[in-house]
Amino acid sequence: MLPPSGPIIVLDPAHGGTDAGARGEAVAEKDIVLQIARSARAALERQGYRVVMTRNDDSNPSYDDRAAMANGYRDAIFVSLHVASTGTPRTVRTYSMLFAAPADPLGAAAGGGSARAGPPVALVSWAEAQRAYVAASRRLADLIQGEFAQAFAGSPSNSESVPVRALRSVTGPAVAVEISSISAVTPDALTASGEPLGNAIARAIVTFRQAGAGGGK
Amino acid sequence: MPRGVKIALGLLVVAVIIGLISFRGIQRRVKRLAELQTADEKARHEILAAPITTSSDVTQAAKIYWAAGPDHIAPVEVQLPLSANPVERCRQLLHELTVNPPTPGQRTIPADTTVMGFYILPDGTAIADFSDALSSEMPSGILSEEMAVDSIAQTLESNVPTLRRLKVLIHGQEVDTLAGNVDLTGFFDLNPPAPAVPPTTVAAKSAR
Repeated sequence: MLPPSGPIIVLDPAHGGTDAGARGEAVAEKDIVLQIARSARAALERQGYRVVMTRNDDSNPSYDDRAAMANGYRDAIFVSLHVASTGTPRTVRTYSMLFAAPADPLGAAAGGGSARAGPPVALVSWAEAQRAYVAASRRLADLIQGEFAQAFAGSPSNSESVPVRALRSVTGPAVAVEISSISAVTPDALTASGEPLGNAIARAIVTFRQAGAGGGK
Repeated sequence: MPRGVKIALGLLVVAVIIGLISFRGIQRRVKRLAELQTADEKARHEILAAPITTSSDVTQAAKIYWAAGPDHIAPVEVQLPLSANPVERCRQLLHELTVNPPTPGQRTIPADTTVMGFYILPDGTAIADFSDALSSEMPSGILSEEMAVDSIAQTLESNVPTLRRLKVLIHGQEVDTLAGNVDLTGFFDLNPPAPAVPPTTVAAKSAR
């Protein structure tokens, strides 16, 4: 595997603080994803990646704060980590952001639809900052899901596009990964998935970068 | 035993007895309040529930999307009396989706959920306003929330072809997420227009 010179991987353990996320018996998603993120971070760092985490304790940064952290790096890949309430046990799914089609395609294009002459204004809506990176995120999600299908038996071979709130404002390739499930798998088994998860993500990112898709739209 | 200690012990015993009596009283009061709340909630549901069927409804096949396993939904064809009025029809479909899953395991949205309002704008935008239960009793998770929203969207899409997109409100308000993951600030596309056939494809086909 190539030891990559970039990008920065931003790992986002979902929820935190008063937001427990999915709940199992005496266990909460927020705690499990933090442990998974730490294992995945170690696995990714062993592959030569620089990794930052949106939280490393029981805090709950806002969605915007998490996105802003990723957007602060020039060449970042954002991976939000989740544990599901349902799903086939020990399977993993990868999601990229799905936006609804603009109600008025002309008006919704940056600067489009204006009666005034002149160059279009390239303002980026914070609420839809990910829209320009949807194709790249989808490619990355498919690559990661391909790795998961091999590493976690029974996982689907393709990623899905869903309006995941955590991805909406990230200006770069961004995916959410969710392991099933908090009610059907022991906390130890869920936590143990952190390392294979990190290795699978690392392999997918190498392919993604080699294909020249890093940061591309 | 010194007299002061005896008095202190006596006071302690009295305090414990008073505490136990108060605790049992509080327990009874909490139980009574919970019962009252349940009755209130039931009464509210009955008031909010509009008549689901009318004499002019026609019984026909409808596709309702329920869970077909732990990680996907699938249509089930059911015979339902459905209104010709699209708004009433949508309310009937969502009521069926909520109240009558074939098995408890096929439920995609919490049982206590009620449709508080349903509107269709002239551009085909459907606005579905659900009670708090849809959000507060929904198990958190991308997959569970996706299955819930998809079951609503695909049930409406399959049975009301004029709808173009869906907005989900909770108790009359736009909310950030359904249960911490799926974004409800935007719209969900319904019945997307068929993609235009590229001219080259047509030419290639006709050239054969």
